[in-house]
Amino acid sequence: MGSNILYIEDNPDNMMLVKRALESRGYILLEAPNGLHGVSVAEQQDVDLILLDINLPDIDGYEVARRVRASSKHALAYVPIIAITANALKGDAEKALSAGCDVYMSKPINIRELWARVEAFVPAPSPK
Amino acid sequence: MKTSYLTDLTCSDCGRLFLINEVHTFCPDCQSTLISNYDLATARQEVDRDMIQIRPKGMWRWHELLPVQNPENIVSLGEGDTPLLRIPRVGNELGLPNLFVKDESSNPTGSFKARGLCAAISRAKELGVKKVIIPTAGNAGGAMAAYAARAGLQALIYMPKDTPTANIQESRIAGAEVILVEGLISDAAGMAGVKAREEGWFDVSTFKEPYRAEGKKIMGYELAEVFNWTLPDVILYPTGGGTGLVGMWKAFAEMEALGWLADVKRPRMVSVQAEGCAPIPKAFHAGASFCDFWLGAHTVASGLRVPKSFADRIILSNIRESNGTAIAVSDEALITAQKKLAAQEGIFAAPEGAACLAALEELVKQNWVKSNERIVIFNTGSGLKYLDQAVN
Repeated sequence: MGSNILYIEDNPDNMMLVKRALESRGYILLEAPNGLHGVSVAEQQDVDLILLDINLPDIDGYEVARRVRASSKHALAYVPIIAITANALKGDAEKALSAGCDVYMSKPINIRELWARVEAFVPAPSPK
Repeated sequence: MKTSYLTDLTCSDCGRLFLINEVHTFCPDCQSTLISNYDLATARQEVDRDMIQIRPKGMWRWHELLPVQNPENIVSLGEGDTPLLRIPRVGNELGLPNLFVKDESSNPTGSFKARGLCAAISRAKELGVKKVIIPTAGNAGGAMAAYAARAGLQALIYMPKDTPTANIQESRIAGAEVILVEGLISDAAGMAGVKAREEGWFDVSTFKEPYRAEGKKIMGYELAEVFNWTLPDVILYPTGGGTGLVGMWKAFAEMEALGWLADVKRPRMVSVQAEGCAPIPKAFHAGASFCDFWLGAHTVASGLRVPKSFADRIILSNIRESNGTAIAVSDEALITAQKKLAAQEGIFAAPEGAACLAALEELVKQNWVKSNERIVIFNTGSGLKYLDQAVN
């Protein structure tokens, strides 16, 4: 199994935080600053897990999840998707799961929890 | 006499150090709660616990172990020193002669939230904060509004639209702007967080600033004092955000370091939640180190509708360290317990506090508690604030 994590997130601070946290564990972070770009990266590159912000500037995270799951690239039907939101709207968690996400995390992102959530799907490449 | 022995703040996860003369929320590196540290070695030499006992009543008689540096910045409404009441009828029924209620309903604004918000607002004032924001399931909003009014700070509160009327009204009459949110406290937290970042409000959300836990920890000091510097065997605590549980566990460690305890044996901590929102019991019994976000949270105990605490790791760690447990009770059971406490002991408890009695009844059935043990259940607020919800 590879270790490519795609993070779809428009906030550069969150992107930097997660990049630093995951790269310290040996993962390779693929970055996408909006939903359409994220779907494109998922379809064109080998992705082992997707971290998905819900509040994106173009299509929202729910739509991203739906497009990923419906992609003609067969592997994307099964790639783990972890939704990450600021709980800005009622029922974010339920909507994320029904859109095809596997797990839901709320911001602010606790790094130790992030590691555990990611490692539950994709073992860390570097020794802990 | 030194006002406070606070020295610095450290991240509860990575240990990064933070200065106390700056405004801080949580650790920007790993997004974890900051812990207040005190020079306990010096305090051990200089602070006489028996002198504290003869000071005027209230939370601030423990000022050396609270974070405010200049006493002029203390914003007080008379919080703390709530009664510890023996409840003999209920105790006899359960076969527990040493059963007590720590009744927090006599705090200003009618709940334990006064303690934490008193400390947080006092420090916010001291550090020059002008406007404060909070998401709340109810009582924290009322408490923040009152202390912000007292401190002359602007207050903005996000709360679920089905929050008890008393919490909405008490906040508004204290001058706070209240925004009612479709959803739960987690939804309110998201909105408050965005507002705070965009407009520079200081966010006093549970565990997202360091000082609410400091106010809450004094509950632990008060228990030790009233039990002649020993601790109860079991504490049942209703857990929403969990500040009190974490705060008291910290207080026990501090008192041990201060050399104040005649017996350092600590209580088994029981986290009590409602069956309709039980992330802590679920994670505890699954052996997890953090909680999953609880979907579809619902319970009449509005203070327990917290789908995931920001400090879930610390709460779970403290419970395990204490050899305690976590338990969820049904709304039916907690309402029955609320009526029993009122009818048999004259204590009109908040539904969250009543949940602790319901949990204790279950633990008795499981033989988890022994008849000779000294047990304290926390009533976190007054039932009078829930007239439109829990009591019919």
